[in-house]
Amino acid sequence: MYRQKYLFLLPGLLVLVAIILFPLLFTIRVSFSSWDVYNPGLNWIGGDNFTRLLADSRYWQALVRLSLLTLATVTLQYVLGFGLALLVWRDIAARRLFRVLFLVPMMTTPVVMSVIWRTIFHESLGPLNPILDALGIGAQPWLSQAGHALAAVMIVEIWQWTPFMFLMLLAGLLSLPQEPYLAARIDGAGPIRTFLSVTFPMMAAISTGAILIRLIEASKLMETIYVLTSGGPGTSTETTSYYIYIRGMRDFQIGYSAALSLTYLVVMIVSLTVIAKALTRMVVKD
Amino acid sequence: MAEITLETLGHRYAPGLPYALRPFSMTWQDGGTYALLGPSGCGKSTMLNIISGLLRPSDGRVLFDGVDVTERDTGKRNIAQVFQVPVIYRSMTVAENLGFPLVCRGVPAARIRRRVDSIAERLGLARHLKRPAHALSADQKQLVSLGRGLVREDVAAILLDEPLTVIDPQLKFELRRILKEINEEFRLTTVLVTHDQTEAMTFAKEVIVMNLGEVVQAGAPRALFERPATEHVGWFIGSPAMNFLPARQESGRVTVPGTTLSAAAPEGLGEGRLSLGFRPEHARVVSESPQVAGQVERIWFEGSDEVVALRAEALTLRVRLPGGRVLATGDRLGISVPPENLLIYRDGRLVA
Repeated sequence: MYRQKYLFLLPGLLVLVAIILFPLLFTIRVSFSSWDVYNPGLNWIGGDNFTRLLADSRYWQALVRLSLLTLATVTLQYVLGFGLALLVWRDIAARRLFRVLFLVPMMTTPVVMSVIWRTIFHESLGPLNPILDALGIGAQPWLSQAGHALAAVMIVEIWQWTPFMFLMLLAGLLSLPQEPYLAARIDGAGPIRTFLSVTFPMMAAISTGAILIRLIEASKLMETIYVLTSGGPGTSTETTSYYIYIRGMRDFQIGYSAALSLTYLVVMIVSLTVIAKALTRMVVKD
Repeated sequence: MAEITLETLGHRYAPGLPYALRPFSMTWQDGGTYALLGPSGCGKSTMLNIISGLLRPSDGRVLFDGVDVTERDTGKRNIAQVFQVPVIYRSMTVAENLGFPLVCRGVPAARIRRRVDSIAERLGLARHLKRPAHALSADQKQLVSLGRGLVREDVAAILLDEPLTVIDPQLKFELRRILKEINEEFRLTTVLVTHDQTEAMTFAKEVIVMNLGEVVQAGAPRALFERPATEHVGWFIGSPAMNFLPARQESGRVTVPGTTLSAAAPEGLGEGRLSLGFRPEHARVVSESPQVAGQVERIWFEGSDEVVALRAEALTLRVRLPGGRVLATGDRLGISVPPENLLIYRDGRLVA
């Protein structure tokens, strides 16, 4: 019955196979080969790439660094985004203007933004250090010292993606019902208690959604690093995707970078699933 | 517990706008049950929000036991309010929900626990105390909202803003019974806002009917039923609605043309649009010299009663008759109305 339905499904299926399934299967196959710039081709070397990967401390360091960066930036983005959303939620002067203004960073091309930030952070030519000097804080080695460079990456990430949190959380706030607030007033709750007992619990679901989306996005962190620090100084700001880029696209160790990508994919799927489950369990108790 | 006095109370949402609530005065006795009845947008919620302090009135004053509270903040008025949508604090258990108003007021924990236990016992929530509040059913959540009001010993009045609207019909009856019992037991001044006449009539000792921002009539359910002050009240209260037939003044009597329905015109009736009104319940079927004779247009079965729509030339009227009568659409039917049940309305308002 209706056998022709498969005919109509075919175009979508073909696209799916072409853009997801084939690359994935091909990557798996490549990861068991020693394909590189000298010996291109699909030979079979078994699990050698994976054994090498297990001992590759630069890869695991990048992974740990990425996790910490992601958790820290997403947390800060959430706190700042929530704060801004609360600010322009109620009637304040020019709140429409502010709502649009807060979105500007998100609407700008990431690479362009990173280039501008690199200029700002530039230690001798950028505008930031003279300002810090004038304030008496003194010039900082923004991009030439490990700790500072990490901070610079975080600042750019937070600056660029807080608007996303802001947008999601403001949408959530605007959809909240009025009655719980009236009830809290009648019960005699002050502003802080009202936030903790009314606003925050009602925002839990949308918060989870926003945090998960940002975690997934942030774990792909790459272009900011590429433009801002190129992973340096040394390897101190290298993230996993940037390291895979170096191995694959710069050193042309295609086989090895395929093994790195696959491992990265599995780690990400597992850890994000666990985080998603944990967050959802915290929120949805029914 | 308090007596609530409303002194020339009125509200406009902005100067120059028409009144959302036209100024009126009224006193609600301590421990009484009152119902604000009217269609959506008639000003009843505005009135309730003024009393609970969520809204500052543009005109007049609100007094609790003779003390002016018009400027007093909601939290300091000691009002309990139950909303149409059950409001619970999602992140808390039932016990924490019930205790919340006391926590906000800094009451010692031991006393909160005692108070919560006794209220939960009374509302039948005792075995749910440790459960998360959001896991309750809608009617239980509504009881929790009510409980948050009752838990405060000094509560002045309970305001119920259409609390039964979202409750399942079977549970509605039960919840209404509990509300009534609570009112009698705690002797709390209770104000129920509703657009459901049955709810208002069965719950309150005094019903305040509102329309278009105006208090149209206030009184005991029976008085509203027997002598509606306006045609609107007659329409709104009673099922089916009251009959209003266009009438004329002729030689000292008000009569409905085409019928022999008539009532003595009072002194100084004056000019205006006249009508005679009577309740469908008051009509009697007569076989000889009926006051109105017409054709049965429709019959509604209502258990032991039947509601019959009767068409007599240009007039359509409804009568409620005892059931079991073998009537069919198209049958001829004659009815009479006892003179004491005929009311005269001029320009929509009761004259006599």
